[in-house]
Amino acid sequence: MSGPFAVSGDQITLAIGDDERGVLRNVPALLEIGGDAEGRLAFTPHPNDEDAAAKYRDLIGDDLAQMRRVDRVAFEKVLDGESGPPETIEAFMRVIGEARIILAGRLGIEDDGWESEMDMRSDPELALLGWLGYLQDAAVETLSELL
Amino acid sequence: MTIAPDRVDQPDVDEDHEIARSWQVVVWNDPVNLMSYVVWVLRKLFGHSKEKATRLMLQVHHEGRAIVSSGPLEKAELDCHRLHHHGLWATLEQT
Repeated sequence: MSGPFAVSGDQITLAIGDDERGVLRNVPALLEIGGDAEGRLAFTPHPNDEDAAAKYRDLIGDDLAQMRRVDRVAFEKVLDGESGPPETIEAFMRVIGEARIILAGRLGIEDDGWESEMDMRSDPELALLGWLGYLQDAAVETLSELL
Repeated sequence: MTIAPDRVDQPDVDEDHEIARSWQVVVWNDPVNLMSYVVWVLRKLFGHSKEKATRLMLQVHHEGRAIVSSGPLEKAELDCHRLHHHGLWATLEQT
C-alpha cells in the first residue's frame, strides 16, 4: 500500500512518516489558536430567523462542540499509530477538514480556483492547506471503498 | 463560487402550522471542501448513490447550492446538524 492509509480487514492505519506525523500533531493547536476564522465553523441552519436559531441552539446545545472534541481524541489516536475502524478515520478526516476551513479563513480564501491562482510554496499555511487536502482526499478514497 | 448570502428572505410562518410544513436542507458552495469529500458526505449521511451524490455536489459547485434532503423540521434540523459536523455549510428553508 503506497497511500497514506493502510487497510487490513475493517481496520485502517495511518501510514505516513514521522515528519508528516509531526506536522499533523500541530493541527489541534491550530484549531485552538486559530479559533473559528471568520466564523466559518459557526454554522446555523436558520441564518435569517433569530427565534428559530435560538430554539435550535436550545435543542442542540453544546452537541456540535462535543462531537468535535470526540473527533479530536480519535485524531490523536490515529496519529499515535492506532488502527481503527472506518468511523475512526472518518473522525480523523473531519478534523482535517476543520483545519482546512480554519486555514482557508486565515488565508482569506473566499472563492473557487484559489489552488491555481496561488503559489502553494509561497506560504507555509498554504502548503499545509494543500497537503491536508491530499490527505483528506486519500481518506475519502479509502473510506469510499468501504461504503 | 459563492458562500451563503447574509440574508435569505422567507415568508412569515404561522407557528400553528409549523409542524405540518416541510423543510428543505440546502448545502451551499464553499471554496474549501473537496468535491470528493462532499460526495462522500452525501453518500454517507443520506445513503445517496455515487451518481446522485455526484450530481448534487456538482449542482452545489456550479449553481451555488443544492437541496440534499427534506422533511419535518426535526428531521431537517438533524440532517443539518450532521452536515455541520462534517464541515459543510447547510441551512434550512421551508417548502
